[in-house]
Amino acid sequence: MPRTKTRREEPEPKKENPYLPKACKVTLFKRESPDCFLIRADWKGKYEPGQFFQVSIPGIGEAPISVASYSEDHLDMNIREVGNVTKYLANLKKGDTIYIRGPYGNGYPMEKFYGKNLLLIGGGSGVAPLKGILMYVDKHNDNFSDVTLYFGFRTPDDILFKDDLKNWRKKFQCNVSVDKNPKHVKTACDVCFVTSLVEKAKLDPENKVVFICGPPIMMKICVGLLKNKGFTEDQIYISTERLMNCALGLCGHCMIHGKYTCLDGPVFRLDELSEFKHD
Amino acid sequence: MLKLNKSSFNDFLTDVMRYNELVAPVKTDTSRFETIRDISLIDIDLHTYFTAKKFFFKKHQTLYTAEKGKFKVPELQPEKKQRVMVGLKRCDLNSIKRQDIMFMKEVHDPYYTEERDRTVLIGVHCAKEYDEYCFCSSMDLGDYYDLMFYDKDDAYLVEIGSEKGRNFVERYRKYFWDTDLFLKPEDRRTYTSLQLQKKDMESLRENPGWKKEIDKCLSCAACNTLCPSCYCFDMMEDIDATLKKVQMKRNWASCQLQCFTKVAGGHVFRETREDRFKHRIYHQVQYFKEKHGINLCTGCGRCIRGCPTRINWVKMINDMEEK
Repeated sequence: MPRTKTRREEPEPKKENPYLPKACKVTLFKRESPDCFLIRADWKGKYEPGQFFQVSIPGIGEAPISVASYSEDHLDMNIREVGNVTKYLANLKKGDTIYIRGPYGNGYPMEKFYGKNLLLIGGGSGVAPLKGILMYVDKHNDNFSDVTLYFGFRTPDDILFKDDLKNWRKKFQCNVSVDKNPKHVKTACDVCFVTSLVEKAKLDPENKVVFICGPPIMMKICVGLLKNKGFTEDQIYISTERLMNCALGLCGHCMIHGKYTCLDGPVFRLDELSEFKHD
Repeated sequence: MLKLNKSSFNDFLTDVMRYNELVAPVKTDTSRFETIRDISLIDIDLHTYFTAKKFFFKKHQTLYTAEKGKFKVPELQPEKKQRVMVGLKRCDLNSIKRQDIMFMKEVHDPYYTEERDRTVLIGVHCAKEYDEYCFCSSMDLGDYYDLMFYDKDDAYLVEIGSEKGRNFVERYRKYFWDTDLFLKPEDRRTYTSLQLQKKDMESLRENPGWKKEIDKCLSCAACNTLCPSCYCFDMMEDIDATLKKVQMKRNWASCQLQCFTKVAGGHVFRETREDRFKHRIYHQVQYFKEKHGINLCTGCGRCIRGCPTRINWVKMINDMEEK
């Protein structure tokens, strides 16, 4: 007689549900600029600079946020208010709960760059993921000799990580520009696009790796400038932004040329994205 | 080799239906796979208009509910009845393989896995092409089934493809007879007049041949909806009227819509219809193969059959002149 009900012969070991977030407490909220803020969560665990987390607020939504720190007992995220979730996060305070799953993505393969000279080019909130690199460099100081920064912001008010910048100016070759200075405040920054700084700079491609993160148009121009200066595609790493839903390499929204931004990215070596103009 | 006599096929299905959820192709307003209550509706040779993927990768799946900071996962029900799907074609079975790769191998998706685990897949081989839109014979389809039925005069020859299939045969042993008949290699092949002839897609990216068909595209997403392999989805929250209970849902998505790549701030990465159209084709016949060694497309032809402007992209690619 056939059995009425069939059960699995051997129960498989229970695997974690990949969609479920974990609750975390906000331990620090800091306004960085009129539309950017920093949230520190008490996330415990390993992550690499360049990776990202899915941050959710039930009822508001879920958004991918890149890490702006390098630590094992907390997680900093620099967030710009652009969408529903980020606008909600902007009103949080210390002690509030947020829901996080991750880390996702590949991050910057920092160990591969020991002994190399680093060139970091960031625009606006694209500076946030690069901050993780700088914190990594701080902890592994002996392995990196020459670190050069080119950071661009819209106005002096929009400059992020002002306290850190003071520090960075001492340690690294630090170049900061602002697009405009509407209030004519006194500033140590050049008033121009960050791409102009890169264009004017004398950069030697020898033994260098470049990290670019910023608005798509800025990244595109920088890549062109660097290629003119003799940099090759395998020296340039860019951080990409895409719509992401699952962050597990399933939902398909973030696909670029068959690669998942959430798995194979968000950091790509330029030659991996041979023709990224199509996507 | 085993055989199942056609004269006892209906008795077999009735018996299966008694203790299992039986799913089979049914001709209704259109044709689809449905849970069967009346076996006289079954048309086993039908190549359905709609796919069978909704039974595993559901149109809407609640991933979790959140209420007052508590997250609840919809309970998995291992004691659910076994499901027996009969009448899957080789293209359907192969697309289930593609989805298994994504939802069970690449990521362990508990919702998909639960539905797959309780399902026995029984295929029926297409001895001849169903219509002029099928092109499975050019898609290198493999064997992926628990049981496969091959039409041989007054009986089905039965091939066992897995342990699950073997157990199933044991349970319904009285319907299966040993036979000296055997399958020739050509019995296991499929024959279609439409074939995707070009294998190197990358060189065709800028080919002028795309334009004529892309101009016909309405971005209606029928191709995605009808595709048995397409696995992309949206994750969206459903909030109840009290604004307190939130359901995180996974819904089918379409790469043919602009919102598919729209990020906060409003930027759309694949803004033109051309980019979106090409993205679908390239995902189907290049990207997936680069990573998993097999094409995502299984040549079922549903995207052509169901296209309101009848874009035959296979013919379009075949007609492209290579430089």
